[in-house]
Amino acid sequence: MKDSNGLVFSGRVSRRTLMLGAAAGAVTLAMPNILRAADKPTLVTSIRSLSNPYHAVWKTGAEAYAKWAGLEHVTLVSEGNSEKGIADIKAMLAKTNGNMVLNSDPNDTPDARPIVEACAKAGAYVVTQWNKPADLHPKDFNPNYVSHIEFDGIASGKTIAEILFKTMGGKGGIVALGGLISTTAAIERKKGLDAALAANPDIKLLDFQVANWKSTEAFDLMGNLLTRFGDDIKGIWAANDDMGSGALEALRAENLAGKVPIVGVDGIKTAVDAVRTGEFACTVTSDPFWQGGMGLAIGYNAKIGKFDPAKEPPEHREFYGKAVLISHDNVEEYYKTNVESKPEIDWNDLWGRVTGAIRA
Amino acid sequence: MTIQTEPLKSVSDIERTTLMTFLSGRIASMLGGRRWRRLAPLAVLVVLCILITIANPNFIELRNLVRLANSAAVPLTLAMGLTFIILMGSIDLSVEGTLSVAAMVVVLLAANDSNGNDYGWWAVLAAVAAGTIMGLISGLVQTMLRIPSFMATLGMWFIGLGLSVYMLGGSAIRLNDASIRDLALHRFLGLPLAVWVAVGAFVLAAIIQYHTRLGRHILAIGGDEDVTKLSGVNVTRVRIAAFALAGFFFGIAGVLAAAQLGQSHAVIGDGRLFAAVTAVVVGGTALTGGEGGVVNTLIGVLIVTVLANGMILLGISPYIQQTVQGLMIIAAVALSLDRVRLKIVK
Repeated sequence: MKDSNGLVFSGRVSRRTLMLGAAAGAVTLAMPNILRAADKPTLVTSIRSLSNPYHAVWKTGAEAYAKWAGLEHVTLVSEGNSEKGIADIKAMLAKTNGNMVLNSDPNDTPDARPIVEACAKAGAYVVTQWNKPADLHPKDFNPNYVSHIEFDGIASGKTIAEILFKTMGGKGGIVALGGLISTTAAIERKKGLDAALAANPDIKLLDFQVANWKSTEAFDLMGNLLTRFGDDIKGIWAANDDMGSGALEALRAENLAGKVPIVGVDGIKTAVDAVRTGEFACTVTSDPFWQGGMGLAIGYNAKIGKFDPAKEPPEHREFYGKAVLISHDNVEEYYKTNVESKPEIDWNDLWGRVTGAIRA
Repeated sequence: MTIQTEPLKSVSDIERTTLMTFLSGRIASMLGGRRWRRLAPLAVLVVLCILITIANPNFIELRNLVRLANSAAVPLTLAMGLTFIILMGSIDLSVEGTLSVAAMVVVLLAANDSNGNDYGWWAVLAAVAAGTIMGLISGLVQTMLRIPSFMATLGMWFIGLGLSVYMLGGSAIRLNDASIRDLALHRFLGLPLAVWVAVGAFVLAAIIQYHTRLGRHILAIGGDEDVTKLSGVNVTRVRIAAFALAGFFFGIAGVLAAAQLGQSHAVIGDGRLFAAVTAVVVGGTALTGGEGGVVNTLIGVLIVTVLANGMILLGISPYIQQTVQGLMIIAAVALSLDRVRLKIVK
């Protein structure tokens, strides 16, 4: 009885829904026309989401560059869905007839190939960051695939570990909070921690646990770790700042905030504030503002012929960018230039932060 | 306390059971049958606690019990709301969206590091109201547009998430109101205030379920909606009320989560839905509705929390923790539900 009623009813509703859907579709179709630029190339940023601070800053960097260069800028968000990410880029290529520059943080490693191939076919210029398969190289797609940028996770993990050990006075036990097990960043940063531990035999790794990049998980985990190790915990190494801040709140609930130093990676505002109050020993950031702007700058300069990608050395095609360390020594200055005001970046200095070619 | 639906089922059900369910049914009846089943989640909890204590006596330290209570506070409050929905045989997927809206509202209206607002406890009130309204909308969408709760609340999840992403601008915003942060940092009788709030939520939920007409009607809808309707119950109104009630609890949980973490970002609810559903089901409330209740859920939440705490205390590698969790969920559900009586498994 209920079912047949539902069927009849669903027919009635669906006609109205269809009309609504059609109207909504028409509106969406009309919108991109406003965004279309006449002949200057469109700058396109493709990122995973806007709900994390990292990519939110990335977008402001991209917009800052677009404003500086006087170009149209569009942000595509994949919402962690690879198919959507690639489809959106293809749609953008079709709309601009290939007259665009793409700066992409591919959702997943394999995504980089279809993205690069589609751009090369349409004649657009593309820069990828963080994720690409090992056998995909910019030099195989001259001149369209300009550069690929990464940040050395091993170096980051090692740098923050060394500062943590120094803050602890060179001895004692630490606990480590890792990121989502399968991600490259999590694996590399842990390698860096392991390397630092090997060089400091007086530091004992009490436990390594995974909080999946999230402050909420780190909060619960830290409470449990405090039960297991109690006062033996003299320092906390977190693979990102969000987990570090979750651990910090767990410490605060036990009146331990500021007594046990924490280190993290990313340089989110919470962590920068905590470095200022001394609750964090340091954080290191890849500077998403720079990533968002400079990725577009490199692609745009190649597109307008400022340089020929084919003639650039390998360390300009696939390189590690320079990470910025924020510790007690420079936090006030960093706060003034990056948090209170928008960072000033010389967008003409394309290769200033190259630290070397990516390890094969 | 719970409605006995057994007499309504026909005898032939037993003939239809497969060998496996027949066997597990046999084992259960050897152990005492239905009465034992009802106590199964409690038994699982007690056995877990004993095993963990043997392996690491730190477990029963007062400090650890306080931590356990503290990390159970948010999941318990969430699961209280969800229990009513699952009791009706529906599902509420908007947990994470509603929670993040409530956390966003409280942080943006109380003293924070992003705007000049400082409405103190009015912010908390507004956050709980926002949660209730989200639930109310879910209920209205489900009953008035006749959209299954699964899709209606899935929509509300994304609406809520999108709203908080937009309002927070994608970043994390700190909560600076000291009196709200005291929910997590101030202690009364040795327990953080958040735990007392969660206990209050539990008592409220128990009163609603066992001593009000709404609670009995929710259970009746889960048992058999058609019969309930024929008995003169206004099913639509009960459904809307239940979803609003769930939103109310999610709103409180959002405030607690923001107070604990001292900040709000759009993904503050990540993973909470799965944890809440797990707790409700592990506690012995059937996803088909009509069976279980808030007391079951209390035990379910404790099982999940104790398990997470215990795995760290036992030093189980993070690489296999999820596997252990999965095994425990299957074991707990297999023990607590009477498979023999299930006509269909889907």
